[in-house]
Amino acid sequence: MNNLKLAWRNLWRNRRRTLITSASIFFAVFFALVMRSIQLGSYDHMYKNAIESYTGYIQVQHKDFWDEKIVDNTFAYDEQLEKQILADENVLTSIPRFESFALASNGPQTKGVLVMGVDPAKEVHLSNVRDKMLKYRLSPEALEKIGRDSEIPEKVKELASLFENSAYTTSSRLQLDLGITDKEASGLMPDIERYAHFENGSIEMGEPGAWVGDKLGQYLQLGIGDTIVLISQGYHATTAAGKYEIKGIVKLPLPDLDNKIVYLPLDVCQELYNAGNNLTSLALAVNDSKDRAIAETVDRLSMIVPDDQKVMEWREMNEVMVSTMDADDKGGQIMLGILYLVIAFGIFGTVLMLTAERKREFGVLVAIGMQKKKLASIMTLEMLLIGLLGLLAGATIATVLILYGVDHPIIFKGETAKMFEEYGMEPKMAFWTIDTYYISQMVIVMIMVILAIGYPLRKIFGMKVVNALRA
Amino acid sequence: MLIAGALIPGSGQELSPREIIRKADEKFNGEKTSISTMAMTIVRPTWKRTIEFKGWTKEKKHSLTLITAPAKDKGQSFLKREQEMWSWNPTISRLIKLPPSMMSQGWMGSDYTNDDILKESSVVNDYVHEIVGEETIDGRLCYKIKMVAKEDAAVIWGHQVRWIDKKDFLFLKSELYDEDGYLVRTESGSDIKLMDGRLIPSRIELVPAEEEGHMTIIEMKEMSFNKPIEDSFFSQQNMKRVR
Repeated sequence: MNNLKLAWRNLWRNRRRTLITSASIFFAVFFALVMRSIQLGSYDHMYKNAIESYTGYIQVQHKDFWDEKIVDNTFAYDEQLEKQILADENVLTSIPRFESFALASNGPQTKGVLVMGVDPAKEVHLSNVRDKMLKYRLSPEALEKIGRDSEIPEKVKELASLFENSAYTTSSRLQLDLGITDKEASGLMPDIERYAHFENGSIEMGEPGAWVGDKLGQYLQLGIGDTIVLISQGYHATTAAGKYEIKGIVKLPLPDLDNKIVYLPLDVCQELYNAGNNLTSLALAVNDSKDRAIAETVDRLSMIVPDDQKVMEWREMNEVMVSTMDADDKGGQIMLGILYLVIAFGIFGTVLMLTAERKREFGVLVAIGMQKKKLASIMTLEMLLIGLLGLLAGATIATVLILYGVDHPIIFKGETAKMFEEYGMEPKMAFWTIDTYYISQMVIVMIMVILAIGYPLRKIFGMKVVNALRA
Repeated sequence: MLIAGALIPGSGQELSPREIIRKADEKFNGEKTSISTMAMTIVRPTWKRTIEFKGWTKEKKHSLTLITAPAKDKGQSFLKREQEMWSWNPTISRLIKLPPSMMSQGWMGSDYTNDDILKESSVVNDYVHEIVGEETIDGRLCYKIKMVAKEDAAVIWGHQVRWIDKKDFLFLKSELYDEDGYLVRTESGSDIKLMDGRLIPSRIELVPAEEEGHMTIIEMKEMSFNKPIEDSFFSQQNMKRVR
């Protein structure tokens, strides 16, 4: 106890030195945690986007569908089987889908598209398409109205014209792009929202209507009420061709998908492809989406489904994304390693200085009868306290930032946002909440501190008192 | 033509292989016009499907095909004029010119490619013929003729072996090989019937060599020849109207 008291007092004898040393540890912990949190958060966010707007966590498919996505590799919908699947404890609900490719055209414009037949009512449980419907668009008409409104500042008008034809699913994103602060929002946003309002219709089972991705709609120059023509090959090589009225525009967070998606009501889609009541997949919404629970559910369901069907989990279905993220993760860990190396030398440097500065002090202490062992233990305690101080401060501040970030992800705007979108990513940086990664980062920093203690201890035990007194 | 015409009467035994092929070819393509009703059955390992259609042809240049069954495909029509092919789909009211990229795809999902239908190269002029033997198919004695593509001919086959009935000059079997000498498909004719005064195999089976369980069968239900058809019949307007 005495030692601890001495160590504590020693620390505050030279306040600046203590603060500098713990500051370097503070930064190490802080940056490591925040970096890791952003990394993990971004992966999670990308996965969630893919899962929620497309694959779902688990899918039941025809066994050959994944390798060869043709309409012939589909399976007949079976109510009995669906009941059995729904009886599984982790399965919330099942969402039937029919997806295939087609050539879409409007006048002279043509593009290959992904046609997704969905049951709009059931889809609510997974890829909530209705949430992704366009709410605002800065169309030329909207810009004209904004231009005429004298209450709107010039700066906002300029930004608005920069984002001509941009589509928004939320008002907050629109506000951000237009550079309107929260304070100004209450005065300006209602008017702008009214000018840029975008009205969608819904698609219903049995009615031949379509929803298209915003980017696809822009490419094919399709608006609400226009007709999209789809042509493809149907079940057993029949001709699949149909005309559908555009009822709504969706903006999906995955630009790659937004570029090519056409939603049709499930039964309309099955009729287009002449596929009876066949499905390409039964996507499942789950209670527990943790990796282990998913794996166990997949195992259980695999026992139930017939031989010509198989159960796939999201990792398999998003293989490219998963391996890209894994590669990125490795890159991030190397960056962390470099950060640690720099910081380890920082800590070691301050310890080196500290030892040199106190050489005479150590000499005096030993000369007046202090045991080297006791001196060493005080020194160790001092270092540990500095380490702990930096660690706690770093973790506390990082936690505050991360907890804030979890609810308020960084959303990029303007040119940076465009750049993100060009890379096929959502212009958003999410944080991952406090998790096991905290422990590993803290342990690593503490190990660095402990290694640094080695130097002053060696100096103390190898000290020649006479020399030290003269230092 | 004059020499060829002089050779035909009464000289069955001394025919040159080229002459045999020409006579057989004329059985199918020799008339000015033809109108036919056919059924095509596509056989795949796990399913099969039959499409019925009507066809009009004039010389080798023009043809129009109208799908009459099943209901889902009914009303689609295909027009071939010279080297171009068009398709009309009534459900979407779209006339589409088949691009070169679609030429190697199966017509209506069958083993016949669009290219097969379009590029009727001349079995007479584009090949060097040689009689390699005689064989019996379905009780009919046939010439077995090997045809090697000429160097400068625009054909996709390296060589063909054809079996031609000695009496009636009918193609009863053909084997088509690619440039490397691998068998690509076998076509065989059977069920020989008299149609509008002509004896022709009314059932043709096409079996691709590489794909197991795949087959396309064409059955001619009715055929009539040399009914007058105007050139204007083979028009884009008529594709939409024809019944």
